[in-house]
Amino acid sequence: MTAHLRVENLSKSFGPTRVLDGISFAVPPGRFTVLLGPSGSGKTTLLRCLAGIERAESGSIHLGERALAQGRSHLPPDRRDLAMVFQDYALWPHMTAAANVGYALRRRRLDREPSRRRVAEVLARVGLSDHAEQFPHQLSGGQQQRVALARALVAEPGLLLFDEPLSNLDADLRERLRVEIATLTRESGATVVYITHDQAEAFALADEVGVLEGGRLVQLGSPEDVYHRPASPFVARFTGLAGELEGTLEAAADAAATVTVRTAAGPVTAVAGGTARATGSRVRVLVRPAAVTIARDTGTEPVAARTLAGTVVDTAYRGRGYDHVVQLPGGVRLTGVFDRSAQQRGTAVRLLLDPEGCFAFPDPAAASTPVAVAENPEPIRTTLEVR
Amino acid sequence: MTDTTTDSRPRLPDAAGTAAAGRPPIRPPHLLGRAGARLRATARALPWLLFGAVLLLPVIGFLLVAVTPRLFGQGDAWFTLSTFGQVMSGWTGRAMLDTFLVGTGAAAVATVVATALAWITERADLVGRGVWRLLLWALLLAPSYLESLGWTWLVEPQGVLSRLLGHDPVALRSVVFGPAGVVWVLATRGVPFAYLAVSALIRGMGREFEDAARTHGGNRRSTARLLLPILAPGLWAGFAIVFAESISDYGVAATLAAQANFPLVTGAMEQSISTFPAQFPLASALGWLLLGLVALALLAQRRSMRGRSFTVLSGRTRPAVRTRLSVRAQAGALTTVGGFFVLALGIPAFGAAAAALLPSGGSVTLTGLTLANFRQVLHTGELLSALGYSARLSVITATAALVLGAFAGRALARRGDGAAGRILDLLLLAAIALPSVLLASGYIFTYNLPLASHLGIDLYGTSALLVLGYLAGALPSAARLLSGSLGQVSDSLLWAARVHGRPATRAWTGAVLPLVAGSLVWTWLIAFCGTLLELPVSQLLAPPGSEPLSVAITRQLQGYNVGAGAAMTVLVVLAALALIAAALGVLRLLLPAAHRLEAVA
Repeated sequence: MTAHLRVENLSKSFGPTRVLDGISFAVPPGRFTVLLGPSGSGKTTLLRCLAGIERAESGSIHLGERALAQGRSHLPPDRRDLAMVFQDYALWPHMTAAANVGYALRRRRLDREPSRRRVAEVLARVGLSDHAEQFPHQLSGGQQQRVALARALVAEPGLLLFDEPLSNLDADLRERLRVEIATLTRESGATVVYITHDQAEAFALADEVGVLEGGRLVQLGSPEDVYHRPASPFVARFTGLAGELEGTLEAAADAAATVTVRTAAGPVTAVAGGTARATGSRVRVLVRPAAVTIARDTGTEPVAARTLAGTVVDTAYRGRGYDHVVQLPGGVRLTGVFDRSAQQRGTAVRLLLDPEGCFAFPDPAAASTPVAVAENPEPIRTTLEVR
Repeated sequence: MTDTTTDSRPRLPDAAGTAAAGRPPIRPPHLLGRAGARLRATARALPWLLFGAVLLLPVIGFLLVAVTPRLFGQGDAWFTLSTFGQVMSGWTGRAMLDTFLVGTGAAAVATVVATALAWITERADLVGRGVWRLLLWALLLAPSYLESLGWTWLVEPQGVLSRLLGHDPVALRSVVFGPAGVVWVLATRGVPFAYLAVSALIRGMGREFEDAARTHGGNRRSTARLLLPILAPGLWAGFAIVFAESISDYGVAATLAAQANFPLVTGAMEQSISTFPAQFPLASALGWLLLGLVALALLAQRRSMRGRSFTVLSGRTRPAVRTRLSVRAQAGALTTVGGFFVLALGIPAFGAAAAALLPSGGSVTLTGLTLANFRQVLHTGELLSALGYSARLSVITATAALVLGAFAGRALARRGDGAAGRILDLLLLAAIALPSVLLASGYIFTYNLPLASHLGIDLYGTSALLVLGYLAGALPSAARLLSGSLGQVSDSLLWAARVHGRPATRAWTGAVLPLVAGSLVWTWLIAFCGTLLELPVSQLLAPPGSEPLSVAITRQLQGYNVGAGAAMTVLVVLAALALIAAALGVLRLLLPAAHRLEAVA
């Protein structure tokens, strides 16, 4: 049942706007790939091209040996042997939960009894045995999403598509359904393509994460890869930063491809991203929240070059500990600085930066602007923490 | 019959709209880039343009004849405005003034009645709200000439009242056969339109405005003064619609007003065309003036809305709590609302029923009531053949309006989608605003031109032209009705069916049809009933040798056979009601889910 998905050089425009620009990727059988991107990055269009709802202008899509789309030929959605969970669920309001699920099973042309059993079995798997005869409007949002999930799983399609299925749910429910999607799809063995704009969701679900920017696939790799080796400042920002520091490259440090950057806040060691290697060139250091820790002032540690002095401007209690906002000399603020114990507002602290979570990229703005510290870098906050 | 209400009804935000907002709309692939896209859009607009040309071009030709009669061989001048001067004086001038005054009066009465009715039914716990709404629908569907005829049969010399009371009700007759009667009939016909325009606003307006006014020290009177401006857009819309409907109404002009010797513009237009030789330039000039008045009403409504944004519906609005009426208030409200419907529907219905049941002569006793008129109707072929003829044409019209309306409605629901949608929207709006008399006059004139037969278009004097005229009247409202329900069905429902293995047609019948079946049936029924009893187009376009139902019924006014005509009317109305009940019953039986969904919505 499960099949290898191959997308090659897929392109599509709406009028003058190019929404997909030469996208190529492959998903091995039974693997779970999440396409991550902000709105307008083309992820929905890409998914709709896979489903056959949109027609790509060029490129090809293969599922196993079958060409779903290639050149001018375009297989209609009903002949692609796939299933999809829609963002608005798209449950047919005139059918009960069981009928919704059963409708999708009819393509398998089973007899009545096996068909009924299969529907009941899938509904039980998503925990809706007691709601089989209810109509969508009688179900809660989470239950509706479960029916949509059951409908997608019931016919055991070779390819499963998810269109931001969790975006309409509240945080608690989202996490529970995420776990169900992760386990149920892996049990089914289907090849999965899942799109979302939520990086935490993407990292939690994926075997592989692809990041889309302006219709191009800018990075494809394991979640760890994308988090620790972002291919561009865009990827780094979109997957969560504590803040950004501007500075000049001091020296290519060692074989591990780390560099030292002189910033207004002090020297910082970072992984070299891009091709910024020339000493003295302008770079931006992008800092992951997880890379910043507050140094214990035990008095035994030497005042290392890697610690930065700063002032706590905000403390937020998060249950397991505290998230701090720390202002550095020069005005840059680092957000999401976690510590088990609270630091009062106004306290002077020293920050320890893990080079593995700091990325130095060439600063494109440097040529035109003088050395100025960004007033409000507004990094994208993330709940994701890599330990 | 023109229908301007559908345009002014506020569109409620629907689940489909919000869900689809986040993604680009579905568009066809652009094989040739931007030029190709434009070409495709134009190609898609082409059928509608052609269709619009067949339906609306005749009217434009007809309107031109007033200013350039020579172009059509109707006079000597290539360009003249003298016809307008001619029309503004004499009895046509009086008809213009009467029409304006009657329209204003009817609009004012209808707006006041409808607002009061909407407030009582939407904001208070009046009993029998379902019944009142049903009666409003009946009022909306009944053609105006039927109400006129009901009153006429009641008060005419030797009519029902004079025979029941034993003396001639002269005083009442002079009221009914005069401006007051005409205004009343037009106003009652307008009440459902005005009700639709204001009731949604009244229903949606949460209690918070009232509460805020009361807590800040306003008494009842000042609270009402505060709420009126908030309701103003709905009130203006209601007023404009009823005004436009009233001045373009032909049913009352041809019956009550004609009896009362009270000329109205639509009646004057019909007369200028039916006299021999037909005075087309005169009728055309009257058409211009009528159209000008309609445009004036719609413009006034738009102006009154400009610069104001009273968003009374928001996500935070709580549904208004219905005021609990005391027993006395309840009784008073019931009497008032009941009284209105008795005057609007009951008395004309009684007039028709009594006229049908009374024997043709002699004294009146309860035992003297007879079914002889009904027997006569059923045994003479004349009226039955009129019914058969009209029913056949109505089935064709309603079916065509449904199919074309579904396509047009779907295109309309995706209006943002380029030229095709905008052109269609404009065409439908124009067709809705055109009075039926003007439409029919245009057809008579244009398809009778030598040019038409030169081009091989020999539609004049055929049933095909009559159907075309009916369709021009029925299609715009059908398209508007369907665009609402088709637009509410989210695309993803259809795509979900496709993605889960159903080919296009079966996906549509499985996932979309059950959701829109109810409104498809309703649209067909409204088009069918509207056409079955349609008067102005029938009167003007009926081919020689075939008599549509409405023409046969109104001909009874000439005293030819009052009892039989009334019996025929009663039979047709009952048959139409039975058809509606049967169709809705079958719908419920076959599509129980549709019924359940209605209950939910």
